[in-house]
Amino acid sequence: MATVHPSVAHDGHPDDTDLPEQLALVEEPPFRVPRDRADLHVFLQAALTLEHLTIPPYLTAMYTLRPGTNRPAFYEIRAVVLEEMLHMALVANVLNAVGGSPLVAHSRFVTGYPVRLPYSKERFPVALRHFGEKALETFLRIERPEYVAEPPGHPSVADDEGWTSIGQFYRTIGTGLVRLTEELGEEELFRGDPRRQLGPEHFYNSGGELFPVTGLASALEALRVITEQGEGVDRTVFDSDDRLFGEAREPAHYFRFDELRRERAYGPYDTPASGPTGPAVEVDWEAVDRIDPAAKAAHFPEGSAVRHAADCFNEAYAGLLCLLERAFTGEPERLGQTVPMMAELRRLAEGLYRNPHPDPAKRSRGLHASATYEPLFTRVGP
Amino acid sequence: MSTAPRPAGHCRYDVIVVGAGLAGTLVAKELGDEGWRVLVLEAGTDTLSTWPGHLDALDTYYTATAKVPNSPYRPNPDAPSPDLLDLEGLPDGGYRTHGYLLQNGPLPYGTDYLRSNGGTTLHWLGLTPRMLPEDFAVRSTFGYGKDWPISYADLEAHYRAAERELGVAGDTAEQAEALGLPFPAGYVYPMREIPRSHLDHVVAAAVDGVRVKDSAGAPDTTLRVVTTPHARNSTPNPHYDEGRGYRPVGAVGLPDYGERCVGNASCVPICPVQAKYTPLKTQARWDHRVTLVTHAVVSRVLTHDDGRALGVEYLAYDDPAAAAHTVRTAEADIVVLAAHAVENAKLLLLSGLAGRSGQVGRNLMDHPVLLTWGLLPGPTGPFRGPASTSGLEGFRTGPARRNRAPFRVEISNWGWNWPTGAPSSDVARLLGITGDSGQPRGKPLFGRELRTALGDGIGRQFSLQFALEQGAESRNRVTLDPSRRDRLGIPQPLLTYDLSDHVKRGMVAAKAVSDRIFGLLGAEDRTAYGPGPFSPGYFRFEGGDWVFHGAGHGAGTHVMGDSRDTSVVDPWQRCWDHPNLYAVGCGSMPSVGTSNPSLTLAALALRSSEQIHRDLTALHRPVRVRPAHAPVTAVPGPTGPLGSSPPDTSPPTPAGGSGAGAVPSPATPRTS
Repeated sequence: MATVHPSVAHDGHPDDTDLPEQLALVEEPPFRVPRDRADLHVFLQAALTLEHLTIPPYLTAMYTLRPGTNRPAFYEIRAVVLEEMLHMALVANVLNAVGGSPLVAHSRFVTGYPVRLPYSKERFPVALRHFGEKALETFLRIERPEYVAEPPGHPSVADDEGWTSIGQFYRTIGTGLVRLTEELGEEELFRGDPRRQLGPEHFYNSGGELFPVTGLASALEALRVITEQGEGVDRTVFDSDDRLFGEAREPAHYFRFDELRRERAYGPYDTPASGPTGPAVEVDWEAVDRIDPAAKAAHFPEGSAVRHAADCFNEAYAGLLCLLERAFTGEPERLGQTVPMMAELRRLAEGLYRNPHPDPAKRSRGLHASATYEPLFTRVGP
Repeated sequence: MSTAPRPAGHCRYDVIVVGAGLAGTLVAKELGDEGWRVLVLEAGTDTLSTWPGHLDALDTYYTATAKVPNSPYRPNPDAPSPDLLDLEGLPDGGYRTHGYLLQNGPLPYGTDYLRSNGGTTLHWLGLTPRMLPEDFAVRSTFGYGKDWPISYADLEAHYRAAERELGVAGDTAEQAEALGLPFPAGYVYPMREIPRSHLDHVVAAAVDGVRVKDSAGAPDTTLRVVTTPHARNSTPNPHYDEGRGYRPVGAVGLPDYGERCVGNASCVPICPVQAKYTPLKTQARWDHRVTLVTHAVVSRVLTHDDGRALGVEYLAYDDPAAAAHTVRTAEADIVVLAAHAVENAKLLLLSGLAGRSGQVGRNLMDHPVLLTWGLLPGPTGPFRGPASTSGLEGFRTGPARRNRAPFRVEISNWGWNWPTGAPSSDVARLLGITGDSGQPRGKPLFGRELRTALGDGIGRQFSLQFALEQGAESRNRVTLDPSRRDRLGIPQPLLTYDLSDHVKRGMVAAKAVSDRIFGLLGAEDRTAYGPGPFSPGYFRFEGGDWVFHGAGHGAGTHVMGDSRDTSVVDPWQRCWDHPNLYAVGCGSMPSVGTSNPSLTLAALALRSSEQIHRDLTALHRPVRVRPAHAPVTAVPGPTGPLGSSPPDTSPPTPAGGSGAGAVPSPATPRTS
């Protein structure tokens, strides 16, 4: 087998001939600053959906690494995926603070993969891929810093332009929060039940910290954590964990993935322009269980062990979403129970990745079975 | 340039700390924070303080055949550690040992430790119960062992300081109510208690409120399951520190990693996510004035002939696989031995120090452990979570202590892991693998059948651990055998160890309590004590067979007391015979109660750090200059250079002051 090297140029689309023509679409809010409370709820629910959207692709890359190999890649992705979970919880806090109610345990919440990257001009597929060049290109596209896009209504932005980046979408929510605070008053806008807020007593174990949102300042700080952990701060490589939480600053998500792609770490003096000049990062591109990025549970024969395992995974995934919704809607202490559920999801997913694909043609191409992240709510509710 | 001869590698510090385990790490932290230059000499290697080192230890553990406490940590012939695998029981009783610790006692000292940066606390379970107030006075109250020269009240504030430094999770109200532990009003642990396991709930439902007798004629004891305090990350308590809360401390070597406990169930010997406290977490916050030198085996303490310690001599090696080393010295104003109870005694004996009381090396203690095990009627999900999350605390004190040793009962969450080596021993058995490779294999189970059989059996496994208090006895001791030396040429410790009838009667009572609990749970008792290779702790008592185990709680070898004639160190853990030589750690403890000793060790180390700071301050303070022609009678108001100096409120220095009669009373400072 030829050694796979990721291409350093990443402007082009990944070769996505292994994906279907039709991509799932995420419903995007209208291209404008949210006008009222109901509008704000729609935007924040969309943000919650967006934060979740990134987690299955990251988990897929992480769990397809063969156990005991590729440890730098494992810990880099793990750190990112935990911060995405933090972002999801922070968005839920903001939504609850402004009197909304997060929706998670619903088949509409999970669009299915491959999905078109939302808030982007270009058609870019986000699929569940094994760790490798294509997966990293996807991740870099998701986390790419967007230094230029202003919110809608800004003189520089045409009315009909449409969303151009995730950063722009979050800045728009921030603008909406500020305007509505001015219109309604802070107390009136942030009138949600404080008992729904998740705090440090409910979750922590990676960069940043979960904190309750009680007003405009904490809401804007939550949005700041989300964008700066992803893209970096002030056009540097690093996030703002040192400023916000007194923690060690770390390369932002985009640059962490870039370290893996280039097999070299960012040093303390590196900039986005310089690229990484630190120590080498060891990546074994071969020590990966390769999977079909278009796999659906229905592709695995009814009654087979692989199908059973895929269904079990999808049931457990639905169970996790149900539990998350309860944690986001009035039972914050349940958040801790997601930890053993994630351990169970990992066990079920790794069981799939360690087995060959049941389809002989795909098996002959070295592909393995995979977790498909199609929540099966039938047996677990909601 | 000075022409004074200097030994190779010579260096000078304010304090030398020997050993980078829990006690040494805390002393170095406190003194570094006070601004002193501290040299920490560690005999072992420093692999674990980096993330790749942590992963290497995990890999070593995962692939180890026998998952004993030292299994993740690579053997180091230049700084050998005792290992549980060193001991072997003989077919008809008795034992053989073939490791670093030599033994010649009637019973084996079945306890290991680890010589590595971080010390034995790398593989501790992480339980942090406080000692009970009456544990500090067992001789005067119950007639056995030795009394402490200090009380619970003297140590209480340092218990709280240790609970902060180690990050303790627990339920203060429950500890106060169920054990009668005095806490200051409003005090809570930094984190909420580690939740009870499912098994804890099952046991509580069956036994809570039941009154039992541990022997005929004994008073009733009411059974009650109580959660145990842990040095393990849990949910931070927002009420801690008068509402300031607590930020749990994450992993060492990988930023933004390290979690609260998620139940990996391998606390002993290593927590994969570093939810458990280790001294490496404290070392990560050492002041830059603290210098750590590893691969440095201290071979003796250097002393002046007036008894003052000058420094230490140490053997520096590079490659743990080679005997090659160089001899170096380091000097300091104060030397602190913090190398483990056995190693501290070894160093004092090697150096011929602190010998006036004749107690160095004596009073060696542990918590002898009796295990009982059985099968519950249904599955209770063992091997999830820390090895123990709750216990029964009712037998830890009371008038029965006059007659038999008290004990703490740990409810084991790990099935028969300790008694039989489960679950790997169950897998081997079902695969037909016997202990004897000369025998043909039995009929094995495979696949689904194997998994079902394993699940059914392991899910019902249940065991109790009774940790007994062992009183200080002069005959249990550490000496040196000059004829047996380690690879660097240092004589190896020779241990003489036995259990008293007081302890053995405690085991009889423990087994009676176990029988009652098993009855209440409807458990099928599978406990069996007999001689054999895995039972070096086999003995007979009152016509019955018994097997005990060590708990890894070595203590007592440089006992603390209130007289230089009967103890090695004073209440500050300072050697009576050497005013600037401290010996800190469990070796100072005159009694160990029924508490896992690390928290008490930490509290003592923090308390001693304060005294070491005072000693160093006194050593650096110049003698107060008096006017050449002082008036014969006192003159009111400031006069001369003395008038503006602050009143001296420090205690007299060990070195003694000048003309005590001429010093103005510190009780009457001028406030004008």
